[in-house]
Amino acid sequence: MTGRRAWLLIALGLGVLAALPLLSTGSVLTWGFQVLLYVALAQSWNVLGGFGGQVSLGHAAFFGLGAVVTRMMWLSGHPLGVALSAGMVAATVAGVLIGAPTLRLRGPYFAIGTLAVAEILRITVSNVFPEVSTLSAPALASYALAPRYLLALMAAALSTLVAWMLTQTRFGYGLAVVRDDEAVAEAVGVNAFRHKLAVFVLSSALAGLTGGVFGYYHVSFYPQFAFSPLWTFDALLITFFGGTGTVWGPPLAAAVYLLFREVLALRLVELHVLVFGILFVLVVLAFPGGLLAAWRALSAGRVRQTHRS
Amino acid sequence: MTENIWAEVQGMRRRAVVILIAAVMLSGLPQRGVGALPATVKLGAVIPLTGRFAGGGGQVRAGYEFAVVDVNARGGVRVGDRQIPLELVVLDDESDPTKTVSRLETLVAQQGVAAYLGGFGSDLHAAAAAVAEKNRIPYCGVAFALHAIHQQGFKFLFSPFIKSPDIAIGTYRFLNASVPSEQRPRSVAIFAERTDWGRELARLWTTRSAEFGYRVVVAEEYSVGARDFSDIILRAKAAGAEAVFSVPTPPDGLAIIRQMKELDFSPKAIVMIRAADAVSWTQALGKDGDYVVLAPGWHHAFTYPGVAEINAKHQQRFGRPADVLVGPSYACVQIVVNAIERAGSLDPVAIRDAMATTDLQTVEGPVRFRSDGTGIVPFVLVQWQGGVQQLVWPQGAGATAFQYPAPPWRGR
Repeated sequence: MTGRRAWLLIALGLGVLAALPLLSTGSVLTWGFQVLLYVALAQSWNVLGGFGGQVSLGHAAFFGLGAVVTRMMWLSGHPLGVALSAGMVAATVAGVLIGAPTLRLRGPYFAIGTLAVAEILRITVSNVFPEVSTLSAPALASYALAPRYLLALMAAALSTLVAWMLTQTRFGYGLAVVRDDEAVAEAVGVNAFRHKLAVFVLSSALAGLTGGVFGYYHVSFYPQFAFSPLWTFDALLITFFGGTGTVWGPPLAAAVYLLFREVLALRLVELHVLVFGILFVLVVLAFPGGLLAAWRALSAGRVRQTHRS
Repeated sequence: MTENIWAEVQGMRRRAVVILIAAVMLSGLPQRGVGALPATVKLGAVIPLTGRFAGGGGQVRAGYEFAVVDVNARGGVRVGDRQIPLELVVLDDESDPTKTVSRLETLVAQQGVAAYLGGFGSDLHAAAAAVAEKNRIPYCGVAFALHAIHQQGFKFLFSPFIKSPDIAIGTYRFLNASVPSEQRPRSVAIFAERTDWGRELARLWTTRSAEFGYRVVVAEEYSVGARDFSDIILRAKAAGAEAVFSVPTPPDGLAIIRQMKELDFSPKAIVMIRAADAVSWTQALGKDGDYVVLAPGWHHAFTYPGVAEINAKHQQRFGRPADVLVGPSYACVQIVVNAIERAGSLDPVAIRDAMATTDLQTVEGPVRFRSDGTGIVPFVLVQWQGGVQQLVWPQGAGATAFQYPAPPWRGR
């Protein structure tokens, strides 16, 4: 596919997604919102874990900070744009504060370190804000899904654009070297720590924005649940499912993952968690490189077959 | 050669997984009927069937299922001049309020339900009620005593279940009626869960204590899922507390009782609402779970019409009379069905309006609703006695004597 054709297809896809609120019912839009939210979240983790090679288990902290700060500011009367920006800034600042010390650690120590920080934040938030945050009855009466959906689309598009830029820019190339071998990166003049910190902060900001969209979308939630480790693990699973370090793997995987999870929940009731886990393991075993790699392998297989015949 | 075979096996494995995924997904596509009225009237229930509230959630589900079977046995729901079978769609929220919300959205998106039925636990209901309000679909929830959520001005929330203000007063009235004046546990310790419901009830127990002759000597908060309760237990012991009031989750409740025993703190009365509701309480604690009082909203010893039949069904399926939450859950279905029949329509707003004017004899007694959606229902207290839940309040109506005081742990 030529570059021009690809851009045309992307623009067309975005156009269709942006027009969805005009074309579809609330049910499709709700599902679309969830997929886009997970695309944005997974992509924000992919930027750090896939492109940067830093497996963080504390991603929920930034999502949660974005959600809580945005919601509190929005519900206290600030314009939505200001509230979303504040949520993103809070997550960015937290990214610097948490990233600077934890990125001195490597491999499993980094993973455990980030998980510990996120859990500390979750417990603190649950102690300070233990009560449910519910929209008032008048706010619920005028609740509109379309703007929430469009915000999620914006967050998903932005995070995917950031992921794409990492495949095109000098910073992205430097990051790829750091991911593959830090010693080599230092040897060729790439400052590994600065690259890691920069991508950590970038990832945190995107997670904060996604959290902000979640905070604006949900009619009611407990603040501590926005810090649940499940937000980290869902993002991580979707990224691995789609293909780490790829631009289009997480969006593809988010759609399949959510469809899969919701259909199982609908059909199997309390057994769905168990069956989902088993099927997920089967999928990972069958497609070790992720959905995108499987798709490419299938396409390559078809091309070879065409050539043979 | 070997590589070719291996590649083929890999390919087959991938195809098999793809086919499996496709089959699962296609099987979940909604099947919609054609015509003005659907083939079934769908009630959507999001219940915690896994996670911290699984025990209580299982009881709620059983109540809904029994009620739906009974309604269908008499021909279904009468909508105008048609009898339509009732269909229960149950989803598990894994005891996670965020999933409660998304699953309620799924029920509307995929199933087109006429009304929502709630799960178990105040925090899950609090999250769910707002979704019902947004979607303008009536919501009937039991096992849910949080009063604050009824003060938001919601119009689609109904709960035929006792609420915190009635529990606070009812607890003291019960103690005064059941225990002679000189033996009453006048010094009360409140172990307040750091949640909206935990705080609400702690505040109400404290503010209402003096007028009934009690004094709150300790009111300490703890976090949900805390492992160590020794600090608050020792404070209560040091203050000479004779009664402990709390509303923990089942895992926290078990931990509190075990640690009270380890620290040899033996109050005369223990009121432990929610944690002691499920049968798993006595299975986990044995005789240490005895003497604990709970406020589940119902008991199988009730003599209202239909209770004996529920007990027989429960006995047949689970080998014991109906659990405490089965009755209120059953009543919820009775209320919704009655509202649909009076509305003569499946329009959720019409059903909501009919529910607001409910005046129905159910398996939990006569039910009416206040304007805030709280039910006017009997207040019930149950005590674990010899590994069995016995009705101890209201007196009469099948109630047994309240066992008091609770003996020291070592003496059991």
